[in-house]
Amino acid sequence: MPELAAEPSDAAIVRAAAAGDRRAFEKLYRLHVDKVHGAVLRLAGFDHARAEDFVQESFVRAWQKLDTFRHDSSFGTWIYRLAVNTALMAIRARNADPVSIVDDEHLPDPADNPFCPAERDELERAIAALPPRARAVLVLHDVEGWKHEEIGNELGMAVGSSKAQLHRARSLLKRALGDTP
Amino acid sequence: MNEFEYLRQMRSLRRPVSPSRDLWAAIDGRLDETPATRSRHLWTRRLAVAAAIFGVAIFSGSIALRLAAPESSNVASSTHWKPDDPRLTGAAVELATAHSELTQAMHDSPDSPALRRILDRTQRQQERLRQLDRQAG
Repeated sequence: MPELAAEPSDAAIVRAAAAGDRRAFEKLYRLHVDKVHGAVLRLAGFDHARAEDFVQESFVRAWQKLDTFRHDSSFGTWIYRLAVNTALMAIRARNADPVSIVDDEHLPDPADNPFCPAERDELERAIAALPPRARAVLVLHDVEGWKHEEIGNELGMAVGSSKAQLHRARSLLKRALGDTP
Repeated sequence: MNEFEYLRQMRSLRRPVSPSRDLWAAIDGRLDETPATRSRHLWTRRLAVAAAIFGVAIFSGSIALRLAAPESSNVASSTHWKPDDPRLTGAAVELATAHSELTQAMHDSPDSPALRRILDRTQRQQERLRQLDRQAG
């Protein structure tokens, strides 16, 4: 999974925040809010109000869990994972659009069905229109660069289901962008 | 557009995006009411409960010590140990409960030196109780 860039002074700020220093925590918020918001915004289908709720919830949870942060990774990576997990919890809670496991052998090669180029706004609108679970898999895999194993773990689904959801999401995306599936 | 171009375009979406408004005030307002505070209170309560149980165990143990006859010694080490001498049963149960509570508390806060000291003392009390039980024979 890609690491988010960390500020060199993060560790000291995190320690201060963990000791109850709210100004330090505010500094962490200011340093990382854009990356966190960007990630949950994509998962929320570019719904800004929902994404901002996720951001708030993520930072509140981070404050609660700061004493469990072990500095094994950067704070940026930790809060990013926490925020993504917060957004995915909402998707899991919906138990939306389940898809049956599909054998890898029967999944068409996406390269067989090339995409048309799309403007960023158009692409974002098409992603936003996807069913929540399919969108989560597409965003995590194709945008955030997660592996199917990681997606499966976070979304509580088998690797095969993650692949099937990705294929479904790509097909829907192509259709939405005016491409023949 | 081929697969490579598609992925390049998708990855270009991965960028920081500022929220439409400053969310800090709302977050700051929620920090006081968070489970973090509650969990710290919960932790304080757990410590108080453990300390109370420990106190009761010490009290019961001291009574048991007076009742027990001092003879030969032998140490057992079973977690679910029950003394042969019925006069020691109460103290054994209290100490076992204290041990269990403290172990749970240690699980939640493994780095707490205070908890470690109390747990060590509880274990020493249990050892002494076992010795007394054997002496009472």
